Amino acid sequence: MGSKRKRVGDGGMEENTMAILDTYCFSKSTQHIADDRLSFLEAVRSGFLVTENASVPTNKMYKAIFQILKVENSLDLIMTSYQLLLELDKHFPQAWSPFSFGTDATSSEKQDHGKVSGSFDVTDFHLLIEDLSKVPDEANTEILNLQPLRNMLLFQYLVNVIEGDFVPRNLAFTEHSDWNNLRESLLNMILVSRKITYKTLVKDCLSTMCELSQYSRDCSHDTRPDETGSTEITEKCRTALAIALPGVVKSTCAAVQKLLLMIIELDSSKKEADLEGWTTRADGTRTPATEIILDELSYDKNILFPFFQALDKPKLKLDMIVQYLKKYIPKTSIRTRRSNGSTDDSTFGGVLNSFSNGNNTKSIIKKISSEVAQLLLAHAFQAYILLPSQHSTESKEDTAENSRPNICKDMISAFTCLKKADKHTEIQPFGKEALFTAAIMLSRNS
Amino acid sequence: MEMEDDPFDFESDALLATSPVVAPKRRKKVLGLDDLLADHYKEKSRAIERESRLAKTKSTYNSDDEEDGRVAKLSKYVDECHEKITQLGDEDDVSHWGLNVFGKQQSPPSFVFSELSSCSLFRSFVNHEVNSLVELSTESGESFFEGLLANGWLLKLVSECGEVEKSIAKWTFHLMIYSSKEVLTSAAIDFWCAILLLKNEDESPSVRIDWIPSYSELKCFLETYGFLLHSPTNDSKDSSDTEMVPGEPECTEPPQNIRAWIKYVAAFSQSRNIHCTFTASEAEELVVVIVCLLLDRQLLGLSIDLNECMLALVNFFTDDEWSSSCVNVAKSVASRVPKDMNSVRAVECIPAVHGPSKLLRSAIAFHILLGFFDKVEDEEVVIRKLTSINLKDKTCDLFKVYIYLVLTENWFLYNPLLEDNQLLNEMWGLFLRNCSCQINITDSRSYAPKVRSKASYLLQGTADRSF
Repeated sequence: MGSKRKRVGDGGMEENTMAILDTYCFSKSTQHIADDRLSFLEAVRSGFLVTENASVPTNKMYKAIFQILKVENSLDLIMTSYQLLLELDKHFPQAWSPFSFGTDATSSEKQDHGKVSGSFDVTDFHLLIEDLSKVPDEANTEILNLQPLRNMLLFQYLVNVIEGDFVPRNLAFTEHSDWNNLRESLLNMILVSRKITYKTLVKDCLSTMCELSQYSRDCSHDTRPDETGSTEITEKCRTALAIALPGVVKSTCAAVQKLLLMIIELDSSKKEADLEGWTTRADGTRTPATEIILDELSYDKNILFPFFQALDKPKLKLDMIVQYLKKYIPKTSIRTRRSNGSTDDSTFGGVLNSFSNGNNTKSIIKKISSEVAQLLLAHAFQAYILLPSQHSTESKEDTAENSRPNICKDMISAFTCLKKADKHTEIQPFGKEALFTAAIMLSRNS
Repeated sequence: MEMEDDPFDFESDALLATSPVVAPKRRKKVLGLDDLLADHYKEKSRAIERESRLAKTKSTYNSDDEEDGRVAKLSKYVDECHEKITQLGDEDDVSHWGLNVFGKQQSPPSFVFSELSSCSLFRSFVNHEVNSLVELSTESGESFFEGLLANGWLLKLVSECGEVEKSIAKWTFHLMIYSSKEVLTSAAIDFWCAILLLKNEDESPSVRIDWIPSYSELKCFLETYGFLLHSPTNDSKDSSDTEMVPGEPECTEPPQNIRAWIKYVAAFSQSRNIHCTFTASEAEELVVVIVCLLLDRQLLGLSIDLNECMLALVNFFTDDEWSSSCVNVAKSVASRVPKDMNSVRAVECIPAVHGPSKLLRSAIAFHILLGFFDKVEDEEVVIRKLTSINLKDKTCDLFKVYIYLVLTENWFLYNPLLEDNQLLNEMWGLFLRNCSCQINITDSRSYAPKVRSKASYLLQGTADRSF
C-alpha cells in the first residue's frame, strides 16, 4: 500500500522545498517567518498533491509540517498545516506516522524529543488528551490563546492517523484472523505501552468527552468578552477563534468518541484472539474499555447524561445501558419473564418489562434514583429507535417482545410506574421528550 | 498575532528553541540582512548577531553570572538597534491578505413560534392520554420543542411522519440562523443537513419539506449578518488599503451563526438530485460568496467548513455547466478582489482536490492576472507581457511581479491543458529565468528576495518536470 509507494530518489524536491523554511534569520520579523512557513506548506501542496503520480513527501517534510501544527501560534499556519496533513493522509494513506514508540528514535532525537522533534510519543498523546479536558476552561478566559484550538486539531489529526492504521488491520483480522498484524497497529502499541497507564487513558478519554460535550451544550454566542486596546490583528484573531471554537469542540468530542470506539473494537478483536489462542503472554491482559466506562459511570452520576448524550452509536449505547441497568434489576423478575429460554434478560424489552412491576420499580429507584432511571430508559429508547436504520437485521431485538410498538407501549407504562412509585418525582424533560416520541410513533404505527 | 512583548526575545529564544529548521550552517544567510540595511547599521547589526549567539548559548547552557553585566549593557544596545531596524523594516514589510467582508449587522427579524399550536405534531399529542405525564401546553410548547430539537428527537419524529411541516421548518431554520444558544444552532444545523439528504432509493425525498428558503431569502440572511455582497472593489486600489469598504471597525464582525449558514449551503447544494435547489447562476454567485468569506481573516477558523462548502458547490454543477460557470465565477472573483495579496489568497484558498476545483483555481488565477493588464484577453499576450518586464528598472514594482509569479504558477499548475502548450511553457520558463537572474542578490528593493527565490524554486520544479 502507501508505504510501498516510491519515495523521491533524487532528494532534489526535498532539498528545494525544505530550503523555503531555511531562509530563517534572526532579524526577520515573526511575520516573515510565518510567511515562509506558509510558502513551504503551499509548496508541499503544489509539489505533491496536484499531479496524480506524484511521489510521497519525505519523512523530513512530514515532520516539518507536523511541527508547524504542533507549535505555531498563528491561526493561518495552524489551519493550513492541519488541512495539508489531512489531505496528505488521504492521498498517501499510511505513508507516515507522527507516533514514535521510543525504539526507533536515536539517542540524539530522544534528547530534544517533545518540543523539537516532529514526532509524537505515547506520553505526549496521553498528556494531550488531558489538556483537551481543560479546553472549556481555557476557552472562557480573556487571554487570546490559540493553544486549545491547536491541541484540538492536533488531536483530531492523530486520531485520524490511528484510524487510518487501525481500520484496515481490524478488517484484515475479522476476515483472515491475522492477529499479528492487528497487534502491531498504532492503537494497540499505544495501549500496551508501559509509558502510560491504560486505565487512566480510558478514563481520561471518558472525562474529556463529557467535558467537551457539556461545553457544547452550555456555550452561548454572546459570552465573548470585549477587549479594548488590542491591535486590530489580535482582535481579528480573537473573533476568528470565537467563531471557530464551537465547531471544533464538537468535532473534537466526536474524535474522542471515535478513539474510544476503536479501543472497544480492538477489545472485542483481542477477546476473540484470546479465545482462539492466537495471543501470547506478551499481549498481556486488559480490562475491556466498556467495563472501565461502566464502572466510572456508576461511580460518577454527573457524567451519565453528558456521556450518553455524546455517544452516538445506538448499538453500543443500548448495550451499555442495558448492562448498566441489569445490575440493579432484581434477578427473579427477569427469570420469570423469560419466554423461550433465550437470553432476553439482556434486551431492552426485558429491562423495560421489569419496570412494569411496582415493587421492582421501587427497588430499582431506591438504588439509582428515579431521575437516573428515567434518563437511562429515555436514552436507551432513543438508541433503540435509531437502531433499525443502522442495523436492519438486528436479530436479538427482533422478537415480538422487542417489536417497536411493544417497546413504545412498555416505555409509557414504565414511566407511569415510575411516576406511581414516587409521586413527588417530576418526570425529567428528556424523559418527557422520549414519551412524546413514543406516543407519536405508536399513533403512526396503529 | 505576535504574542511576546519583546519581539526580539521571542525570536532569539523561543523560536530558536522550538524551530526544527535552524541549521547552523545556514547562519551565513544572516549576513544577507545587512544588505537590506543601510551601511551605517552594519556595526550595530553585528552586535545583534553576537547577542543572538549569546542567547542561543544561554538557552543551551545557562548563562554565567559574571557575564550578566555585559549582557545587560549589550541587550540595551541591542534593543535600541532593534527598534531602528523595525522602523527601517516597516518600509518593506510583507503585505498581507485580509478583507472586511462584513459591515454592520442588522438585528435579526423577530420570530414568534405562534404557528406551533397549529402544527399537527403538537395537536395530535396535546389530547393524547400520555400527556398526563408530559403536561405539554401551548405555553410550554416552545421550550419543549427546543428540547426535542436539541436532543435529536425531532429528526426521528419528522422522518417517521414523512413530513417537515412549514411551522417546524421555519422555526428550526430561524434558530439555526439566529439563535445565540450554540446547542440550538448546532442541533438545527444537524437537523437541516439530515432532512435535506433523506431520500428513498430512487433519489426521491423520503421526507416532504413544506418550506425551504429560496435563494433570495438565503442571501437575505447573509445581509442581516452584515455581509457586503455587492461591494465593488474593481477600482484599482492600492495594496496598502486592504479594506473592502471603509467602515466603523467595531461593527465589522461576522456573527457566530455564519457557520450555520455555510453548513446549510453545503448540505443544500449536495441535495440537488433530491430537492429543487439553485439555478446554475445562483450557485455561481454562492461560490463567489464563499471566496469572499475566505478572504476575511475573521473566518480563518472556519476554513474547513468553508472548504467543504466550496467543494459541495463546485460538485453541484454538471460537467457541461461547469465549463462556462467556472469562467463566470473566475471573472466575478477577479472583478471583486483588490489587486494585492488578496488576489493571491483568492487563488490559494481554492481547495484544488479534483478536476473541477483545479480548473477553478487555474481560472481564477488567470482572470485575476488578466485584470492587471489593460485590454488583454489572450493567454499568449499576457505571458509575453510578463517576459517583457524589465526587472532591472528601479521603478519596477517587484511586489506586483511577485503576485504575477504566484498567479501564473497557479494558472499553469492547475490547468492540465497547458501542459502540452510548448510556446506558453517556454515563455513561462523565460519569465522565471528573468526573475531568477535579473535580480541581484544584493538588490535592496522590497520583494526582491521573495521574487528571486520564488522564481528559482519554480524554475527547479519546471526543470524536474520537463526532463
